[in-house]
Amino acid sequence: MRSGLKSDIFEKFAALAGSISNSEVEGWKQQGGKVIGYTCSFVPEELFVAAGLMPFRIRATGSLSAGRADDYFEAANICSLVRHCFNKILTGEYEFIDGCVIGGGCDANRHILDNWEKSEARIPFLHRIFFPHSSGILMAQNFRNQLENLKQLLEEHFGLKITDDKLRDAIVLCNEIRDLQKAIYALRKVDNPPITASETIALVVAGYSMPKEAYKADLTQLLEELRGVTVPENKKTVRLMVVGPGHDEPTLCDIIETMGGTVVTDLTCYGGKTLFGSVHEADPDPLQALADYQVIDRPLCPKNLDAHPIINREVMDKIKEYRVDGIIGQSYLCCETWGGELFVLQKELKEAGIPMLRIEREYTSDSLGQVQTRVQAFIETISGGLL
Amino acid sequence: MVVAGIDIGSTTGKAVIMIDDKIILGKIIMASIKPAQTARLAIEAALENAGLTAQDELQYIVSTGYGRLKVDFGNENISEISCHAKGAFHTDPEVRTIIDIGGQDCKAISLSAKGAVLGFEMNERCAAGTGRFFQVMAKVLACGLEGIGSPSNISPTAATISNQCSVFAESEIISLVNNDVPLPDIITGINRAVASRVSGLVRRAGLADKVVITGGCYGNEGLVNALEQALGLKVNRLPVNPQFMGALGAAVFAMEKFRAKTTETQINMEGAK
Repeated sequence: MRSGLKSDIFEKFAALAGSISNSEVEGWKQQGGKVIGYTCSFVPEELFVAAGLMPFRIRATGSLSAGRADDYFEAANICSLVRHCFNKILTGEYEFIDGCVIGGGCDANRHILDNWEKSEARIPFLHRIFFPHSSGILMAQNFRNQLENLKQLLEEHFGLKITDDKLRDAIVLCNEIRDLQKAIYALRKVDNPPITASETIALVVAGYSMPKEAYKADLTQLLEELRGVTVPENKKTVRLMVVGPGHDEPTLCDIIETMGGTVVTDLTCYGGKTLFGSVHEADPDPLQALADYQVIDRPLCPKNLDAHPIINREVMDKIKEYRVDGIIGQSYLCCETWGGELFVLQKELKEAGIPMLRIEREYTSDSLGQVQTRVQAFIETISGGLL
Repeated sequence: MVVAGIDIGSTTGKAVIMIDDKIILGKIIMASIKPAQTARLAIEAALENAGLTAQDELQYIVSTGYGRLKVDFGNENISEISCHAKGAFHTDPEVRTIIDIGGQDCKAISLSAKGAVLGFEMNERCAAGTGRFFQVMAKVLACGLEGIGSPSNISPTAATISNQCSVFAESEIISLVNNDVPLPDIITGINRAVASRVSGLVRRAGLADKVVITGGCYGNEGLVNALEQALGLKVNRLPVNPQFMGALGAAVFAMEKFRAKTTETQINMEGAK
């Protein structure tokens, strides 16, 4: 769904988020730039930015089939998002990337590398880093060492030098971007937010799909435009928050907003879950600062053994901050990481008197009839006498 | 006041007309591939039963079911969960748990003492635990849906059906047939497998007495028996045909909406004076 705001930036973000390769990537490559793909939000983009590479987060936008990937991921217990992402890799949609870093956060994700190496899809640089499955200083040190290793591999492969100063500059830039995104998210705290959920998804996904400096400039302009928007007359709505794994396409949010709900915030892997605090800019060791941010400051992935209380607290805080009426916990079929987490979260929210709807679905949007029914019923239930 | 509720499911279409507080059920119409067409046939059947001649006489129409968004002559659409809840509670205010087993999904709905939906669950992964599952099994066993639901086929020595997937369960049942397992044992095993799955949904939604069953599978006595065993509670029959419960709930909503709208108009007119 679209808001009433006419903005060239929105149009641009929607176009970038609606496809894989795009004009920004083409422009970057034409100028001799290299693009590095990565999976999972725990891979620090700052490292690539400091290397002068354009980070591009792997996603499955527009995927209608995982048929080719199913030849590799034969077991039924591999999540739908990972299969569809790998299918895009196999069908050549990521031929523009010059390398890829696989984040070994969840088992399904890490197997992308194993299967990629066994496939006919060629990639000049392929590496995997493992995320510690709990937080703490020792784990952060371990992750820092992995980042050091990745830094050296990038330097060797691409023939470049990633200095601490470049890393610090990249950290500042990515923090600024995060702050702008947070400021735009905060605009949705009002009764009738100036942007829709679909526009927000496009906004964050575009950030993974274009050069960071240009993205920052676009965000700055968009924030100014949004602050100037006159909020239309308030209409009765149910304020909802989406919680779950990577959520890079707008179909579910469109269903929610068509059915009378308003998604006011989220805790998902492409969106709100990446907007947690900032990387410490003053740390004398920028790699350690990145590791600390991902492992200690932002352990918001259920893969972490100690993440649940933090996820719960973040959800509860956001419920108050954004005046959330209900939670939609969405995950993909066979997502072992979020499947268990959402079950526990639902129990706790129920005790706190907060309604939550759990949806487990395929990545593709062609079987969403039942989801539509459940979302509509959930909204009707919250709104009591119906909207 | 004359209003209607239309429930366009995956397998059948049903319509109910309310003339003030009087409820008139239509007929069960087999769903065509075009929900709007099914809706027209369903409403025509209901109009006929109500002694009405034209759709124009209906002052408010609410649609529900999978085809609800395709009913182009309705005033609004409401989810089948809300409509089944409304219909069942309107029919019996003591209802607290509804098990709705339709053609391609099953739902468990928990109600408050005031009839508000407290929680609901739906099957997510496949057709197991739905009318479609029973159709497939009836075909394999060549016993018809009547055979699956017949109380004479309830056996104390049920076979174990371990697969929840309709396709795999089909081959499992073929193996049982080939091994000369008695038909009642297989049928009871099928009903218990479905009841086991559905009872999980019911517990997640919130189980409380009084439990009723709605939807097209309400007549399957073997299933009702298996559900009672799985839940440890009696599964009751509603006094109105449970297959019409979604359409009836939609009609009750239509009546409430139309009355509220009429009252609002009157208040506005009074204010204008």
